[in-house]
Amino acid sequence: MAGIHIENVTKSYGQLSVLKNFSLEVSDGEFVVFVGPSGCGKSTMLKILAGLEEASSGTIRIGGRDVTDLAPGDRDIAMVFQNYALYPHLTVRKNMGFGLKMRGTDPTEIDKRVTEAAKILGVDHLLDRRPKALSGGQRQRVALGRAIVREPQAFLMDEPLSNLDAKLRVHTRAEISALHKRLGVTTIYVTHDQIEAMTMADRIVIMKDGAIQQIADPDTMFKKPANLFVAGFIGSPGMNFLRATVNTNGPSPAARIFGYDVPLRIPQSFAGREVILGLRPEHIAAGPGAVTFDVMPRLVESLGSEKYVYVDVPVENRVEAARTGGDERRADTIIARLINPDERVTEGPIKLSFDPARLHLFDATTQASIE
Amino acid sequence: MKRSTLHQTTLYAAVFLVCAFLIFPIYWLFITAISPPDQLRVLPPRFWPEIPRWEVFGQVIRERPILLWLGNSALAAIGSVILSMTVSVLAGYSLSRFRVRGGQSLGLFILTAKMLPATLLVIPLFGIFRTMDLIGSLWSIILAHATLIIPFTTWMLKGYFDTIPRELEQAAMVDGCSPLGAMVRVILPVSAPGLAATALYGFVLSWSDYAYARTFLTNAQTNWTANLGITTMKGEYISNWGDISAASILIALPVLIIYLFLERYLVGGLTAGAEK
Repeated sequence: MAGIHIENVTKSYGQLSVLKNFSLEVSDGEFVVFVGPSGCGKSTMLKILAGLEEASSGTIRIGGRDVTDLAPGDRDIAMVFQNYALYPHLTVRKNMGFGLKMRGTDPTEIDKRVTEAAKILGVDHLLDRRPKALSGGQRQRVALGRAIVREPQAFLMDEPLSNLDAKLRVHTRAEISALHKRLGVTTIYVTHDQIEAMTMADRIVIMKDGAIQQIADPDTMFKKPANLFVAGFIGSPGMNFLRATVNTNGPSPAARIFGYDVPLRIPQSFAGREVILGLRPEHIAAGPGAVTFDVMPRLVESLGSEKYVYVDVPVENRVEAARTGGDERRADTIIARLINPDERVTEGPIKLSFDPARLHLFDATTQASIE
Repeated sequence: MKRSTLHQTTLYAAVFLVCAFLIFPIYWLFITAISPPDQLRVLPPRFWPEIPRWEVFGQVIRERPILLWLGNSALAAIGSVILSMTVSVLAGYSLSRFRVRGGQSLGLFILTAKMLPATLLVIPLFGIFRTMDLIGSLWSIILAHATLIIPFTTWMLKGYFDTIPRELEQAAMVDGCSPLGAMVRVILPVSAPGLAATALYGFVLSWSDYAYARTFLTNAQTNWTANLGITTMKGEYISNWGDISAASILIALPVLIIYLFLERYLVGGLTAGAEK
């Protein structure tokens, strides 16, 4: 086990820069998740860590040892691939023992470690099968087993759950977390699924266009997003965004949304500036509250225990940024996520409300959070 | 959708006709071999001789150096396959995996050699081999066959390697293999069906060659290949078609046996299970 130190790593293909000054300190035993939309550079960074791609500049240290120029096999890391990458011509036993064999480990020791790992993962009855005779979930476990038998300093996982069906994904997600707690090996996990990131990570690194947007634990990431992108990416459904101009008509700065002046906790100096207000769907409630507004739902989706109410946004509050937050939601709609709502919500005009203290504020120009 | 009986019957009839069309020359070669010479040109033709001459095969082997010729053909074919596979595995893998400046054009340039007729290359090759003192040696046709085999097998293998996920060799490298080690330990075993098909293509191409052997080996009878040797069985005035046919069957047998042996590799499917 070891900590990982990544310092100013960049990667460019000619003029195209796919990774911009990536720096991160991962503690020994920590579970860090790289998350972001396709093409954000998260897999590239993982491959650079593994030594499968060369960084254009920067330094990587694993366990205090500079591995920047070392071959993948000399970095003492193990990797789990999205498509498992099991060797189809070898049995499960040989697949799991391959890395140890390459390192000249004694065959008796290989057998012992493979059997132990197979028992941990519940694949000990499959050891003499070939990968093609395994189900998707079993292959995934074998791929994990191949990583753990090596007892490496760190695990690198590249979207290992994305080929599993939804139910198995939830189950395996919990298993990987449990395995990490049991083994305590430093793990870097790449995914595009923010739910995986939120449920598994000690810390999340959220990326966009090759640059880190925020590094934080899941709760901080959810409660204090650094910018509009992070706010929109984390949470399901994503945060609602409303454009408004700060006015000082009342005693304190306020923004007019849905036809009401909503007080904001910002200095007077913001008067006249355009801001984007973020409001999480679960922070909107049915019925009267601190700020109440009457709406006619455009659509109501029922999930049994909760309802998603889609509401039209007044033209002056619409914001194109709503599209950039990771989901393809329309700019002219916000979603209210109502837990155990009244059955009558499905039809007719309803009252919705929210607490202004729940509002997140972002600069309309820089898209950075306004603290 | 259930096929109608008429559709099914037409399909089987078409398959039967095509098979009959393809198999008939082989059948006639066999009949010619085992028929007495006086029954070869009778009308109406006999589709099975009254008394088959089964002894013709043993007789051809005793009277002619067929086994020597077969041995030479085998040496030439195996030699050119080993040489071609060594070159084309490395070239095909490189073209498949490494993006180098001009790599695409280089790959296409390799293929242009395949577009030239073999006869066009005979003269320059003869000049080169004479300079190298290889005329009359089996090495001449091993090298000449390799020039024909390599362009095509390189592209065949490149296509095959393209279908193998890169993650396999990446996993092998993380497990401790060098790039070459990953290719040898993981990619080549996984590519067994592709390698078998490619090697077989090279073997058949070398085995069936006549033009190069006729040009480079004419004055070295002990190095004659089977195809070259068999043409000397045809006399200027009298030809024993029964013996020639029997020899032809003996020459065709090795390729047939190799096909049967490699068939399970040729149908492929070994990569199933490598990924999701």
